[in-house]
Amino acid sequence: MFKKELFFWITISSGVVILAFILIPLVEMMTAPSMDMLVKTFNDKDVMRSIWLSIYTAGLAALISFIFGTPFAYLLARTDFTGKRLVESIIDLPIVIPHPVVGIAILSVAGKNHWIGQIMSELGIRIMGSVTGIVTVLVFVGLPFYVNAAKNGFESISPRLENVSRSLGASIFGTFFRVTFPLAWRSMLIGIIMCSARAISEFGAVVIVAYHPMIAPVMLYERFEGYGLRYSQPVAMWLVSICLILFLALRVLTLRSKKDI
Amino acid sequence: MELLKNNMEGRKTMKTLLKRLSVLAVSAVFMTVLSPVHSYAAPKGTLTMFHAGSLSVPFAAMEKAFEAKYPGIDLQREASGSQQAARKVTDLKKPCDIVASADYKVIDKLLIPESTTWNIRFATNQLVLCYTDKSAYAKEVNAGNWYTILQKKGVVWGHSDPNLDPCGYRSLMVLQLAEKHYKIPGLYDKLIANRPKENIRPKSVELVSLLQTGNMDYAWEYLSVAVQHELKYIILPDEINLGNYKFDDLYSEAIVKVTGKEPGTFMDIKGQSCTYGVTMIKDAPNKEAAEAFLEYMLDPEGGLKILKDMGQPPFVPCRVPTAEMKAMIPAGLQKLVEVKD
Repeated sequence: MFKKELFFWITISSGVVILAFILIPLVEMMTAPSMDMLVKTFNDKDVMRSIWLSIYTAGLAALISFIFGTPFAYLLARTDFTGKRLVESIIDLPIVIPHPVVGIAILSVAGKNHWIGQIMSELGIRIMGSVTGIVTVLVFVGLPFYVNAAKNGFESISPRLENVSRSLGASIFGTFFRVTFPLAWRSMLIGIIMCSARAISEFGAVVIVAYHPMIAPVMLYERFEGYGLRYSQPVAMWLVSICLILFLALRVLTLRSKKDI
Repeated sequence: MELLKNNMEGRKTMKTLLKRLSVLAVSAVFMTVLSPVHSYAAPKGTLTMFHAGSLSVPFAAMEKAFEAKYPGIDLQREASGSQQAARKVTDLKKPCDIVASADYKVIDKLLIPESTTWNIRFATNQLVLCYTDKSAYAKEVNAGNWYTILQKKGVVWGHSDPNLDPCGYRSLMVLQLAEKHYKIPGLYDKLIANRPKENIRPKSVELVSLLQTGNMDYAWEYLSVAVQHELKYIILPDEINLGNYKFDDLYSEAIVKVTGKEPGTFMDIKGQSCTYGVTMIKDAPNKEAAEAFLEYMLDPEGGLKILKDMGQPPFVPCRVPTAEMKAMIPAGLQKLVEVKD
């Protein structure tokens, strides 16, 4: 490639700086807690319950994003219409809005002062302090990541392939599932990973909507406030490790199939 | 005018600089930053303060007045739960000049003796039950029936986390004291049975937005917070509102179990009137500015007046428990403090 040139060394050194920037604080945090504390935290039911709740709600948020986001991403990838740019920026809005604002916004719709909140309370759906509320928030913050990734995936597939399939008599559904989906599923999977990664890291919006039941980042915060750094670090360590394993597994799965094709 | 007066006094005290200062005096009228008194010894730079969320509104007003008086100082405030404010100093080692807590005991417990040696009690507060005109039973609720309404099914009420926020355990104390005061055995348990865990929030101020958005009907708050956020509220009798230190003996009968120093351990907190504490951190990065601020804040005509106007009765003068502690506070502040436990 461009080895031994100055440019090469610039790329290498910036890479080292970036990795160090990410890893040094994380390694420091992960190695701070003693083995004893880690074991104790691992056996702490509350901690494990919160980590499980985090994974479960983030997964649910990704699933909902997948179900509602896929058709919409397909529409955005295949059609052009006036105001498309506007629609696309609306999709991106949850990425830019400060997290607590998301929480407040959702609560203000879910309260009795709003007609949606009134309907929900009559149906017995509660957002404040419920798993429903947590998932709602996580979908809100995670959805853009899925829609964007899936849209990029669909855009990279030539519409000609779909046209061929249609001209040979396949239905729209048949075409989507037999032609488009097999070609785009990796982008969709990356979207799901991005969406659930975003969801699992959310704190600011969740803590406003639901303090109890506690997801792991909220538990971390509670541990920090109530007991200090010493007791919040092991929780962080477990959350980071478990997430790392999960996401690594997903990455490996996607990589392996890349070689197949 | 006040500035000019200050300048005049300053000139008297600094005779050696008289000549130079008189030249500067005219320009000082136009350039307040360079006013003679302040240009000589005025503290400047960034002043960092961690304080209880319930102090946000009065401190915002104080910040404005204080920075007008000392244009060279930039007061940077961080509001949080009182415990967290202390944790930021002890655990995160964040540089900080002043910590103000909604419960002076937080300073005693977490900051003394490592981070500071003294703790000035400067204001009181009391617990009230807040609601809005959209709350369930808003038209009927009063000081005589609030505890029956809070037991009704469908009424959503909450308080802040007793493990993190003094307002949280104080809310529970009010309920315990109510059981005694109204002579209804089992009232506390019945009330708590109608308050699912989900209605708890880390900080009491966060409950305000739940009230305002109609997600919650009633919330326990400090009187000051209720006044500052223009909420409707019910004033409770002194015997249970934790606002009158004359009832401290009675208050101490309320005992709330909160989490201890490590997960799984607990400790009891006894009821006591709401008393706010403030201290300066030992290795404060900007001691001069911190002293200047405390001097303003503890002045009956300065910060204490703002507190009073915002529903938070101050101690005039402010108090320290012992003469030894008084001796440890900066000299400039001693005149503003009396020894009284």
